[in-house]
Amino acid sequence: MPAIHKALITAAGPRQNTLPLQRLVDRDGVEKSALQMIIEEVLAAGIESVGIVIRPGDEAPYRMAAGAHADRLCFLVQQEPRGYADAILCGRDFAEDQPVLHLVGDHLYLSRTAARCAQQLVEVAVREQCVVSAVQPTRETMLPHFGAVGATRLPQQDHLYEVHRVVEKPTPTLAEQELSVSGLRSGYYLCFFGMHVLHGQVFRLLESAIGHRSGKATLADALDALAGKERYLACDLEGTRFNLGVQYGLLWTQLGLSLAGVDRERVLADLVELMAVQASGRLR
Amino acid sequence: MGSGAGDPWTETILAEDARLRDRSIESLAVGLDREQLLDACNQLDPFWRQTDNLYHRVRAMLMLSAIHRYHLPPLLSQRPGAAIAYQSFEHLLHRRFVEAIDGMLSVQSAHGPSQALSSGLAKAYYQLAMQTLADQVRRSVRSVRGNQWMFRIGHPSDHPLRLDGRLLKTGGESGQFPILIEKTPVRMDFSHSGWSDIFFLGMDYPEGAQVINASIDLGIHPRDDAPRPPVEAYLRVIDRPVLRLVSVDLGAEAEIDQIDELFDFAKDHLGLLKAAVIASGLVPPVMEGCHQPIERLLERVLGRRGLGLELVSSVNDIPKGSRLAVSTNLLGAMIAVLMRATGQTEALEGGLVERDRRQVAARAILGEWLGGSGGGWQDSGGVWPGIKWIRGCLAQAGDPEFGVSRGRLLPQHTVLDSKMVSPEARKRLQESLVLVHGGMAQNVGPILEMVTEKYLLRCSKEWSARQEAIAILQQMVEALQEGDLRRLGTLTTRNFEGPLQQIIPWCTNLFTDTLIAGCRKKYGDQFWGFWMLGGMSGGGMGFLFDPAIKPQAQAWLQREMVEVKRRIEQQLPFAIDPVVYDFAINDRGSWATLAEGHDALLPIGYYALMAPKWIRQEVRGRSEQTQRELQQLGNRMKEGQVSGDWLLERLLPQGNVSYVAPEPLQELLRLHGFDRQQHEQIRTALMAGRIGIAQNRMPQGTPIENVQLPDRRQMPMQRRQEQKALGAEAIRAGKVAVVTLAAGVGSRWTGGAGVVKGLHPFCRIAGRHRTFLEVHLAKSRRTAREFTNPIPHLITTGYLTHQPIAAAMAASGNHGYPGPVLLSPGRAVGLRMVPTQRDLRFYWNELPQQLLDEQKQKVLESARESLCQWARQTGEGSDYTDNLPFQCMHPVGHWYEIPNMLRNGTLAQLLQERPQLTTLLLHNIDTLGASVDPELLGEHLESESCLTFEVIPRRLEDRGGGLARVHGRLRLLEGLAMPDERLEFELSYYNSMTTWIDIDKLLRLFELDRSALGDAVRVDHAVRNTAQRMPTYVTLKDVKRRWGKGQEDIFPVLQFEKLWGDMTMLPDLDCHFMEVDMQRGQQLKDPAQLDGWVRDGSCDYVDSLCDW
Repeated sequence: MPAIHKALITAAGPRQNTLPLQRLVDRDGVEKSALQMIIEEVLAAGIESVGIVIRPGDEAPYRMAAGAHADRLCFLVQQEPRGYADAILCGRDFAEDQPVLHLVGDHLYLSRTAARCAQQLVEVAVREQCVVSAVQPTRETMLPHFGAVGATRLPQQDHLYEVHRVVEKPTPTLAEQELSVSGLRSGYYLCFFGMHVLHGQVFRLLESAIGHRSGKATLADALDALAGKERYLACDLEGTRFNLGVQYGLLWTQLGLSLAGVDRERVLADLVELMAVQASGRLR
Repeated sequence: MGSGAGDPWTETILAEDARLRDRSIESLAVGLDREQLLDACNQLDPFWRQTDNLYHRVRAMLMLSAIHRYHLPPLLSQRPGAAIAYQSFEHLLHRRFVEAIDGMLSVQSAHGPSQALSSGLAKAYYQLAMQTLADQVRRSVRSVRGNQWMFRIGHPSDHPLRLDGRLLKTGGESGQFPILIEKTPVRMDFSHSGWSDIFFLGMDYPEGAQVINASIDLGIHPRDDAPRPPVEAYLRVIDRPVLRLVSVDLGAEAEIDQIDELFDFAKDHLGLLKAAVIASGLVPPVMEGCHQPIERLLERVLGRRGLGLELVSSVNDIPKGSRLAVSTNLLGAMIAVLMRATGQTEALEGGLVERDRRQVAARAILGEWLGGSGGGWQDSGGVWPGIKWIRGCLAQAGDPEFGVSRGRLLPQHTVLDSKMVSPEARKRLQESLVLVHGGMAQNVGPILEMVTEKYLLRCSKEWSARQEAIAILQQMVEALQEGDLRRLGTLTTRNFEGPLQQIIPWCTNLFTDTLIAGCRKKYGDQFWGFWMLGGMSGGGMGFLFDPAIKPQAQAWLQREMVEVKRRIEQQLPFAIDPVVYDFAINDRGSWATLAEGHDALLPIGYYALMAPKWIRQEVRGRSEQTQRELQQLGNRMKEGQVSGDWLLERLLPQGNVSYVAPEPLQELLRLHGFDRQQHEQIRTALMAGRIGIAQNRMPQGTPIENVQLPDRRQMPMQRRQEQKALGAEAIRAGKVAVVTLAAGVGSRWTGGAGVVKGLHPFCRIAGRHRTFLEVHLAKSRRTAREFTNPIPHLITTGYLTHQPIAAAMAASGNHGYPGPVLLSPGRAVGLRMVPTQRDLRFYWNELPQQLLDEQKQKVLESARESLCQWARQTGEGSDYTDNLPFQCMHPVGHWYEIPNMLRNGTLAQLLQERPQLTTLLLHNIDTLGASVDPELLGEHLESESCLTFEVIPRRLEDRGGGLARVHGRLRLLEGLAMPDERLEFELSYYNSMTTWIDIDKLLRLFELDRSALGDAVRVDHAVRNTAQRMPTYVTLKDVKRRWGKGQEDIFPVLQFEKLWGDMTMLPDLDCHFMEVDMQRGQQLKDPAQLDGWVRDGSCDYVDSLCDW
């Protein structure tokens, strides 16, 4: 797999398209849009050009939200809301059969190391020369929100797994039968982190999945097919993902960023005061 | 540690070599003396405590149980020895088996072994083994992949399932939510290789766990046009945030709004639906006790506020006891529909893939455990398509069972496709098999425990029978492949008459044997064979005929079954009239469809149940969905698609639809000597709290002491010979008659079914099924032959038993008994009452009760709460009339049975015919060893007592009183009267009830003599006066109420009794007590005792007393 220079971000979901436009304060105490943070994440991984899949009419607000990075963006419009797989497929021409870093537009990431999450993933993909999905051990109660993989840990590798099965939003019943991973706590599964390195074969499989499936196809369908054809890895990154799209998603994301950044003391103090005031019933 | 070399017991358990491992317990115990057997126990007890292998542990426990039950007692003293401490008994009741064993072993080491201790140890080891096995199955069910998560999700906010969006889309014009419909066939087994589908067997001996079964559709012949899947489950979204459960076949419905309510299994008849909801994962099992409204859970699963779910079950009129696993397959259908709806299966509609079927089967096992019932692993067979060969599998690395048991919990299903069993063979099967429900509904549970025990002990006869059953199954597969139905019939018959009956003789009965004999006689060679279905015969059964005569044979069999049933329905418990089914093999298995728009309809039975309720509601109180449904129902009626008659019937007032019209009951009460005045006095006393179960007891502090009787065996031989000669002379002189008490309803024997115990063909002895009465007459015949004088035999009867016994005696010519047989009809009857909550709670909470296994106990407690509510609603202390008249009446205790003989003239008649008669031998119907023994008679005559009672050394199961010195007087003390239940465990002797009676002295007690017996007024007066001296006990009895298609509810009802043993308390009566052997004095109270009764030699003992 050659070096990865392109990133593809999907942000065309009917209920997700405004999420990247939300403004938050990053770890350095600077207020910016979520989109800016996502772009900074991929640029730090050596990405040069960013394709972003949007709904018709969203280009102007996105361009504004991207701020100084707007000129790196290539807007790819999904004309009809035909689902996630179709949205990724909109980036096929943009990818030009080259490996591409893919992120979902409603997630932000916080690394626990000096290297950002996207950078960690790209390094693994380049080193291992195959498709890699970032994953995170996730409790079974969250399974309705994520794709999950069944995988075997690679020998001598703490964070890398060879994937044999991928299921989108599995039930815990199926997860227990097919997605159990040795070494994880019971009731935990490797769920997608919202970040993948894909290549041309994945786009072909996506096309085939869309053709064969009666409902909306997902990336998981294509990746499940890929797992049966070639080496496909999952990487448990040193970092945390925040889903902006769930209830209180923005709140948790902001708290996660603040508590890991320069304003940690201030935010903690404010939180403690808020709780203390509330507990004593003086909050009006 | 006792696993050292040279110990054959533990060596057998541990052996790798099957020849050693499968050695039978008989071969290990043969020729061992008392000390050697006790040594074996000393090896086995530490072994089971130390080994961590489940099956090694359980085998050791069962070996210990068998040693104490069968092998050691004949070698122990027959005299009372060390007693079981009450504390050990209490441990047993509370399922603290290890503590109970430890307690009894410490008494044994201090005072030596005894019959009592062995009986207690046998039971404790047995129950511990069964509990260990049940715990393991439960653990295995929980650890099945796909089930584990349900034991981690304890709060609705964590719920990981989501409803399939298609169920939330309302359909166009109709505006109704779609309905997901699951239709499931039931399973019909060709062979289960000797009940090898019991989990314990499959998990220990997967090689021997083999079943062939077919999924079949059913129809009732000739009512239904064509067979169809008999089990249906419907699921839909409703516009109220509740879980609505509706059982169409049981006519029950409930709206659940709190999660905790779902775990109240016995509150109503919706236990199976609740178990399905839980086992499907919709409400995971660990949410029990989370105190959350179900609305919160529904909101999370459905993703919308204000909506709920409705689950409807329907069984197409297939009666209970069909032996086709209807309830397990219904459970499977409901679990499947709920799993489909929550995305836990591959597809929402259509068939299930193998992985889904296995998951549904595993969840059904979980559901059965939750609901407190149980079945075999083949029972969910209807979920699979067609004919299956199901085999146990060895556990492999990675399986949850690996390292715990040899086999997996769930077996492997191989569907025998059309290449293996041709379409022609299937057609021939349908053309030759007559599938029936004989009408009997029986509990298979005890049989399954017996099978497990005999397997684990490798009892030799049963073990070789098991091997034969496995071989027969292989041949059945061949016969199916060849399409040779005649051979199949030969094999199913051989299976039934050979191995199955060798393992469990109780799987057949007189009804089945009569039908088979009838088929053979009528159709000869064209009757190809009998086919036992499920765990035992009598309910669902198969008869194979030459297709050429099948239609006639089917019609004949239907008539014949009804006729045989009519003949013997007083002898055996029938729940329904026999029916014949039409059937067809179902090649799809469980199948789902999504009905949308105007097709989204529930079965008409659902509307019959729900619509009247909706109509009675205010319009503004109805939800939009209900309103729409009523409109659609109205439209369908107008268009003639459905008839509206049922609706009118349910809405408009009908005539008296009480279960029992009052007239017959009142008439019967009058006929049988019901005393209304006394009844009202009892009711007043009961309601005032003057009498009741607690008031049966003697005052605390009553001085009660144990006694020891002299050992008859130690008497000089010459004395014994003299006594024997005295007795023999009396018999020869015609001075003795036998009185068999047969007026009771045998509540424990039939579980309150109201059949005549005396006529129950309970066991095959000397080649055929014998009734209790037949056994007693056979003993008298033998005595008559020995002493060349046929002794008179009196049978006391009651309101329930008189007619059937008279008919049976007439039909059999008194079973050929040469002497006079007289019936003494009852002269008194009581009317049962609805119990007070006070009595119910005292009985359940204060008296010692057997605690059940965890989940069963929960179900039982839930049922008890419902019964208290029933008592409250029906009226405490009110007359119990909501049942068949005979089930509302009760006999008033066996004390009355001798006075009845005075009042009804039977004794007078006998004395007139035989003035030389001086002595009666009175015994219970179930004391099968009681006989006119000249030696015991001699002792009675020598004692010159009025009454001589036979008592036996107490064992664990002998509860209900005993011989004691009370206030210095030697007497029998009823269990009901014990001031404290602990005291009973200090008494060495149990009353066998067998009594030698001096007629003249007894008459004197009643202030009568022989000449006064003709004076009815004087006799009545005498009986009433004596009755007043006897205590009256209030007791609770279980009574069955049958309804629907073979359904049964059991109610505890109050009744009053006077008991014969209390005669010993009368100061002016001379009583004598004799210790007799256990085999002579033991009573058969429960059919579950039968197997042990045969195995411990008691049956042979009784046979040796008889002349058939």
